[in-house]
Amino acid sequence: MSTEQRGSEAGRESQRSGPIVAVTRWIENLGETAFAYLLLTPIFVLLGAIALYPLLRTFELSMYTGILGEGEQEFIGLQHYVDLFTGDANPDLPGSVIFLPGISTDGSFPFVHVENWVRSTLLVTLLFAVISVFFETIIGFGQALVLDKEFRGRRWVRAAIIIPWAIPLVIQGMIFYLMFHPSTGFLTQYLSSWGIVASTNTLNDPTSAFLIVTVADIWKTTAFMALLILAGLQSIDRSLYDVAKVAGASRWQQFRLITFPLVLPALGIAVLFRVIDSMRIYGLIDSVSSCTTVPSLSCMVVETFYSSRGLASAVAFVTAGVIGIVVSVVIYQQYKEGI
Amino acid sequence: MATTTERDDDTSEGGPLESWTNGVLKDEAKRQRLYRALFWTACGFFLVTTLFPFYWLLVLALTPNNRILTGDWSLPVIGVEFPHPQGFNPVAFVEVFQVVPFHYFVFNSFVLATTTTIIVLVIATLAGYVFGRLEFPGRGALMLGILVISYFPPAAFLIPLFDAFLGNPVVVPFLGIELFSPPRLVNTPGSMIMPFSALFLPLAIFILTTFYAQIPDGLEDAARVEGTTRLGALVRVIMPLSAPGIATAAVLTFISVYNEYFFSSIMALENNPENWSPLVGGILSYQTQYTTDFNLMAAASIVGVLPVVILVIIAQERIVSGLTAGALKE
Repeated sequence: MSTEQRGSEAGRESQRSGPIVAVTRWIENLGETAFAYLLLTPIFVLLGAIALYPLLRTFELSMYTGILGEGEQEFIGLQHYVDLFTGDANPDLPGSVIFLPGISTDGSFPFVHVENWVRSTLLVTLLFAVISVFFETIIGFGQALVLDKEFRGRRWVRAAIIIPWAIPLVIQGMIFYLMFHPSTGFLTQYLSSWGIVASTNTLNDPTSAFLIVTVADIWKTTAFMALLILAGLQSIDRSLYDVAKVAGASRWQQFRLITFPLVLPALGIAVLFRVIDSMRIYGLIDSVSSCTTVPSLSCMVVETFYSSRGLASAVAFVTAGVIGIVVSVVIYQQYKEGI
Repeated sequence: MATTTERDDDTSEGGPLESWTNGVLKDEAKRQRLYRALFWTACGFFLVTTLFPFYWLLVLALTPNNRILTGDWSLPVIGVEFPHPQGFNPVAFVEVFQVVPFHYFVFNSFVLATTTTIIVLVIATLAGYVFGRLEFPGRGALMLGILVISYFPPAAFLIPLFDAFLGNPVVVPFLGIELFSPPRLVNTPGSMIMPFSALFLPLAIFILTTFYAQIPDGLEDAARVEGTTRLGALVRVIMPLSAPGIATAAVLTFISVYNEYFFSSIMALENNPENWSPLVGGILSYQTQYTTDFNLMAAASIVGVLPVVILVIIAQERIVSGLTAGALKE
């Protein structure tokens, strides 16, 4: 017994002077700041290699011509960006996709005429973000109000509402593909008789496909909105409502004067998150329809990066820039709150 | 559809509309009843809209494919068009695995998701500890930086990453110095796990930061007095006490990877399980190769969706708390 113990003791003694111990001791003696940065090294390496390097390199590549796999070819500066915004790059985009829509103004109502919005990659992306987030906010608010109540089966209702958020994008796409495909979808028959979607080739019709993709996105991500708003709702002090009741406020007044203003901060963050996320849309479009039918910005990057790397990089960087504008709003808010 | 009929019931319930409206305005009990009716209507509406698409998948999967293509959905008795299975053909759920090796695709997804989750948890634990429990210069700026990077679209990272994963040399931006040529990584798990880890790391970091920050300092101090190292205290005291937080981060990372589309569909060059193509490839190969086997598409979708549905039902609380903690931190 005692010999065994001594043996293990000796083993531990010898370990104490091994390299691991030396490293442990070195780490223990680091100051708090050095220790913090040491533990953060893996993140710096990972995010540096997978996010920061590609981002900078994308910007660099956008200033060169050439195709994927080659080194830099001719340096052309910001020409790709100029081409995108003047329309000279439109022939290089696949399908009949254009970057900016044709905008003309004349005296007649509604004064600014946008031609061909459904082919413009920039406008499609922005419109998709605005429309889908708008409806997600409204429906999500409704869902949150329902989930805020205590009732039997609440747990199951909440699970049902979360499930669309949790399903894979490709299956979400497949569901809506099957709901609106002219040969299977019973919905197409209904909706086309109302003139909402095209009756044949529905998923390749730009306007119909845009509508379907938007509805699909609302269906899936409303749950995210609902959960964030619900968190806001549940942080409201319930006694405020008792006070309001005593003061004789109606339900609508309670909502307008207590619920809504107090939920607004959470709602604002949720909306910003969703706007940022919805402007990245790619997978849903690729699985429901095709990238040339609903030309989002990310779609255009994927469609062109094999053939014209420089232009694709420019589109990618514009995407990052557009999202960056929204991100800076987030940063400003965080800064105000003092992160 | 079911909801519109419910709504009609609500309004017609009171008989003569006017007296009913008066009743609602004056009688508190009636008003409560109206609110309750509205509440259940809304509840039913949300349930129907979220669950109907899954019902549609089930209808298609059970209907033999030739019956789908003829497309007559009217109910035999009433004659109203309402989707319902036309026949009973559960064999589709077996065929799904025979036509395409669908189980391999799902297996790939599981391997990718599990590996990514482990990597993310290890790195995010270190970061969560640093951000949650240490005070050091640059803390706020670094957190903000990680937040900002997580917002950028995957498309902005794609081109240089794809280039490097093809085996082309990595070049220092703007200096033109070639660093090294990485091995050819496309069609391997590495080409997906690395971008996934970077994409889903920030959320895990913010969740773990919130949880680790809540552990009282006294517990960590006590462990340190007992002679543990700082990392020892993290592993032996802080992590076990934050087990719910770690579970939350794990569940959310797993679901995110399982659901990811962008890199999953691009980094595997063909939709082959040998190329480590995950679930995305499996589903898409039905869409692109077996373009008229609609019942198989539906059956494959149901099989692919089951793991996350089970996960949501089991880990509901974790998901809700994780999403809100990640987004509305503090």
